[in-house]
Amino acid sequence: MGVGILGAGPVTQAIHLPSLARLGEILTVRHIMDVDPAVAESVAARVGATHSTSIDALLGDPAVDIVAICSPHQFHAEQVIAACRAGKKAVLCEKPFAMNAEEAAQIAAVSAETGVPIIVGAMHTFDPGWLAAQENWDDLPETAHTIRSSIVLPPNARFEDFATEIITRPAGGTPDYTDPEVIKGALRGGVMGLAIHDLPLIRRFTPDFKDVEVLEARHVRPFGYVISLRTPTRTIELRAAMNNTWKPEWSFEAFSDHAALRIDFTPSYVQAGSAVATFTRGSQTTVHGPFEHNGYEGEWRELAALAAGTKQPPSAQTLIDDLTFALDIADATVANVESQHAVAEGAHA
Amino acid sequence: MSATDGIKQYTVRATPEAQEAGAVALAVASLPESFGPAAGTNQSDVHVISGQPGWAADAAEAITAGARAVIVVNPAPEGVGTLAEAAARHNTVVVLDQRWASNPAIPAAEDAVRSMSGRAALLDTVATAAVGTDSGELFADHLAAVVRIAGPLANLRHLSRGPHGYTTTAVLANGAPVAIQGVVSNARPAALDLRLLTDDGGVSVTLPEPVAAWPATVKVTGPHGELLLPTIYESAHRATWRRLKRHLDAGTSPSDLHRFAALTESITALS
Repeated sequence: MGVGILGAGPVTQAIHLPSLARLGEILTVRHIMDVDPAVAESVAARVGATHSTSIDALLGDPAVDIVAICSPHQFHAEQVIAACRAGKKAVLCEKPFAMNAEEAAQIAAVSAETGVPIIVGAMHTFDPGWLAAQENWDDLPETAHTIRSSIVLPPNARFEDFATEIITRPAGGTPDYTDPEVIKGALRGGVMGLAIHDLPLIRRFTPDFKDVEVLEARHVRPFGYVISLRTPTRTIELRAAMNNTWKPEWSFEAFSDHAALRIDFTPSYVQAGSAVATFTRGSQTTVHGPFEHNGYEGEWRELAALAAGTKQPPSAQTLIDDLTFALDIADATVANVESQHAVAEGAHA
Repeated sequence: MSATDGIKQYTVRATPEAQEAGAVALAVASLPESFGPAAGTNQSDVHVISGQPGWAADAAEAITAGARAVIVVNPAPEGVGTLAEAAARHNTVVVLDQRWASNPAIPAAEDAVRSMSGRAALLDTVATAAVGTDSGELFADHLAAVVRIAGPLANLRHLSRGPHGYTTTAVLANGAPVAIQGVVSNARPAALDLRLLTDDGGVSVTLPEPVAAWPATVKVTGPHGELLLPTIYESAHRATWRRLKRHLDAGTSPSDLHRFAALTESITALS
């Protein structure tokens, strides 16, 4: 099965190509597109693929069966729709797969009309550790009352360099954290770029997710957040800090009165196997994993199965609900920061 | 008090509630040269009382009755001004046996955290306790340990509170966010977890329940790697008794009541 990738930045170089290299018996990279011709050529040369700077060229390439969309967020919806219309066998879209619910609905409609299955690159939902937890969690999603997502990560470059030799790394800036707009932008980016990895997991444990409210949102320097959420039946805590530590920690936890699940994920980029899922029920502890591959490889295995027609795609409603849950939290987070700022301004006046 | 070969042994009497809550028999038995049960109806050197609401008056009464020392097990937040005055007037040692704040790993955790707190980016702490635990009591135990380790917190405020726990917010002296969460569940043994993150590492602390001598863990992470501080196989109960012995032998006064007054003030301000 031939793969074409739109966008050849660090995620493609350090995550997707190494994952695909482990799946050579079922998937082969045929075409790399990037707006920078030198990047497209260089990255394509690593895998012996065709290169181009045009989406039409990639979508028109008959060697491409599966399209991965790894371009900037704002292009995702348009490119997913184009890939479906081009009659490809399956589409992977990096998260978020749209910028609003209307775009998401349009995508779902085109997917239904064309019959092209779509999955979103929420890699933890394809992680064998998560899947093992799913098989063993009994009624925990229905009975959990407290959910936590905690992410501590070194700068991406540390793990990109473990995974590959990166070209064209984007330059970092020096944000002005005294500017409320910078804080709002950082928090929105934190939700839609980092928390979003685990929001589908959290949503699975939050039946009343449509009633989510932000109790407080705070920025963690240099990049991170503390966001306290609540629904009528759940307390949800989101924590993240990206700093210069060498020690990553990425966990998801859910507690009911009598059972708890903790999933420890491996860092992105490195091929360090799956998450480990640990259930505790009083004095009994059950551990699932680690397994040999991570969620990124899981995504590609799923895509291959979808393209071959041996598996059914996730429902469009699931993808739309995951997206709107994330957007609702991002919007409410920004609104919370705005109200904190207004209160602070009022206090100074 | 009895003396054998110059070793002071202090006699002990505990109320039934304190006996159970503080595992007093075990603690005393594990320090047999220092403490022993009072014989018959004789006056004891050390009175052990439970920290149920109203405990400060009970402790003051024990002091008036002639106790040389009072241990309060799991004290609930309440005013201790009168008690502190009585303790000072009678030169009585009052020590508090707190679920987590009395753990023998606390001094090392405090040193590790405070040496980094100027560079703190986030302090995140979670306490878990069994179903049926009052979330207010859990919060008091939790906050006592957090403040002991990290120092005073500003802008302390509950975001939510209910039968399943609480979510509380505060900031450190340098403005870094503090996130305090309580979870009521039977899923895991009760424990307190605290993480201070800095720009290049941090400190993680886990404190177990004092029902057994499970060791706390204190890990310091930095560019050098990660250092696990020496583990101490001693419960918070026994560490409290050893601390009491030191004060009795040296004739010094602990700062327990002073600290507790500040804690009570913080909690009262919240509600």
